[in-house]
Amino acid sequence: MSDFRKFVLRIGILFGLPWFFLIVGPVMKYQKLAPIAYDKDKDGVDGQYPPSVIHRQGQLVYAREGCVQCHSQMIRSANLGLDGWRKGWGQEQEGRTAEPVRSNTLRDYLGEPFAFLGIQRTGPDLANVGWRITDRAKMHQSFYAPRSVNQWSTMPSYRQLYTVQKAQGQKSKLALDLPEEFHPGKGWEVVPTAEAEALVDYMISLKKDYPVPGMAAAMAAAAQPKK
Amino acid sequence: MAQPAENDIDSDSLRRAAIDRSVKGPVLFLFTNAAFWLMASTIVGLFAAVKQVFPDFLDENWLWFLQYGRIQPAHLIALVYGWGIPVGLGTSLWIMARRTGQELKTGRSLMLVAAIFWNIAVTAGILAVLFGGSTSVEWLEFPKFLWPVLLICFLVFAWPMVSMFARARHPEGFMISAWYILGACIWFPWLFTTANVCIHCIGDLGAIGAGINAWYVNGVILLFFVPVGVGSAYYFIPKVTGQPIASQQLAKIGFWLLAALGGWSGMQRFMGGPLPAWMPAFGAMAGVLLLIPVGVVGWNHHLTTLGKHKLVQTSPSLRFSFFGALFYPVSGLIYALLSAFWTGANLQFTLAWYGFQVVSLYGFFSMCMFGAIYYIVPRLVGCEWLSVRLIRNHFWFSVYGIGAIVVTSIICGLQQGGDINDPEKWNLSFSNVVLNIRPYIVARAVAWGLITWSNVWFLIHLMLMVAGLGRRSTAPTLLPSHDHDDGLPSISHPSKA
Repeated sequence: MSDFRKFVLRIGILFGLPWFFLIVGPVMKYQKLAPIAYDKDKDGVDGQYPPSVIHRQGQLVYAREGCVQCHSQMIRSANLGLDGWRKGWGQEQEGRTAEPVRSNTLRDYLGEPFAFLGIQRTGPDLANVGWRITDRAKMHQSFYAPRSVNQWSTMPSYRQLYTVQKAQGQKSKLALDLPEEFHPGKGWEVVPTAEAEALVDYMISLKKDYPVPGMAAAMAAAAQPKK
Repeated sequence: MAQPAENDIDSDSLRRAAIDRSVKGPVLFLFTNAAFWLMASTIVGLFAAVKQVFPDFLDENWLWFLQYGRIQPAHLIALVYGWGIPVGLGTSLWIMARRTGQELKTGRSLMLVAAIFWNIAVTAGILAVLFGGSTSVEWLEFPKFLWPVLLICFLVFAWPMVSMFARARHPEGFMISAWYILGACIWFPWLFTTANVCIHCIGDLGAIGAGINAWYVNGVILLFFVPVGVGSAYYFIPKVTGQPIASQQLAKIGFWLLAALGGWSGMQRFMGGPLPAWMPAFGAMAGVLLLIPVGVVGWNHHLTTLGKHKLVQTSPSLRFSFFGALFYPVSGLIYALLSAFWTGANLQFTLAWYGFQVVSLYGFFSMCMFGAIYYIVPRLVGCEWLSVRLIRNHFWFSVYGIGAIVVTSIICGLQQGGDINDPEKWNLSFSNVVLNIRPYIVARAVAWGLITWSNVWFLIHLMLMVAGLGRRSTAPTLLPSHDHDDGLPSISHPSKA
């Protein structure tokens, strides 16, 4: 065998190993990953895990606008980061919970074409943002004029997702309720486009802290004193 | 490494001239276009940094396509696909032809066509990202249909390099730089195809797709930019200093360890996340172990330049290559800090990651490429660089700019990660975390401004050279070692080959 072939073969083996074990294997295994059914007795809930998938149309808007540049969608486990304890990053919006929000599993992202886990955190994590949104109008307002909700926000204003139209007749039900300085002016109103609605739907669908089947039982068993 | 003596026989110089002539067209075309993209990328990087602090800057209603979420990826893909890969290919082609002593026989016009299509694809991709076609997959933000075009264009360049290597029956001396380049020619298409097929064709991979994306980004840095940069440093440092590579043994160890570890790394980006725990763990292990090949290569370059530091002052190509080689261990260290769970947990999802991308892509790789360009272009166009002052400005503005970006990004990462991970600050509003990192981003904007300034002049200088308007002289343009004899190139220099 010539030196050249030997060289290429060595490179092929050295790179082929990680390629096979890190990429090909997990990809093939992932394709077989399916939702699991909850056990009503142990988990206390019915149905299957994960219970629902994300709002895909909204995720397309999320991708197009490049939200992933600043927002992550991944709660790290408590041994690595404080994500699970941060205020408002789980279901509880006010106080401190007894247990941290659970970290994410592979199945949390089942059915997503690509999981936008994140690049930087120059905005809060959005893995469980669905719990944070109680009011659609408020969400629209912070997309249209972020500085009207939080004076110090560095989020861009996504005005391209909204239509400024002449207010004719009765005020549109969807029109945003904006403070004076952000309002386009008297006789005008701001209404969300279908894309803005999809983006909000997507935000609301992000609730990646459903109980993991078997986890509650395992935690309870671990907490019990040994006999 | 074979070093041309000053009384080289004519046939040897003629052979070199013939090799240079054979690759002239594609190499110069790639260099000029790449330099344009580099300037574009730095300008956009400046805007992106400003926008991250002042989102209302340039925020007219009709300028919605300049929002941070669009120009930040545009800035990075212009840097990677506009500048990095073409300039890497151009340098590799020239080094490979010279190192194996072979002319580029066929495929020159095909290469030009491929280079044109590459640029069209990059332009289309960046416009698509700006105007709403982004996939938001890091470094693969292009619309789905563009990747086959980029892959084919890459292969048009890679294939002749591989066959040059295969045909080199009597390699003169030790071929370490050719090894690195051959490796890059094989690794990049492999990585690129795997990532695109998995994410765009197989699809529906959820978090595994994100893992593959991280693997791809790290892979392109470790297995394309690193080998091309190191290969070029291994070629030009011995060439200009006139010393052989200090240790062939160390060079071999550095290469094979990189080849063995590079592919395992990447998924530590998502440590503590949804991926099966062994995947980030392997990535972290490889990321830390990479300190060995990085250190070995850095030590080897240090030994090669030992006692020749005066030449670093005078020769522009050595100066850039030397600093590029110096930034290699620095970027390796930052990579280890980002990879190890111990420190990585604090630096994860912070601006430190951007700092690593800039130090590896710009501080290390691009500096090596500038060194190569300052050496190669005069030999291809037959005239010498016009201005010592321009070269010196280019060098110092780049070094200070990159240094500032790297230092501020790492400190910024510590601050940002510290705020997120501090139990005392569990209820700190996130906008406070963001406010705390603002000064560092302002510093980054200033640094990109400096770099933009240096790149504008670099581009003009390069275009004048390509237009054949350089200095007509047989003496290379050297940087004076003392400031008062500014602009007077010294005549006695051994490096002209």
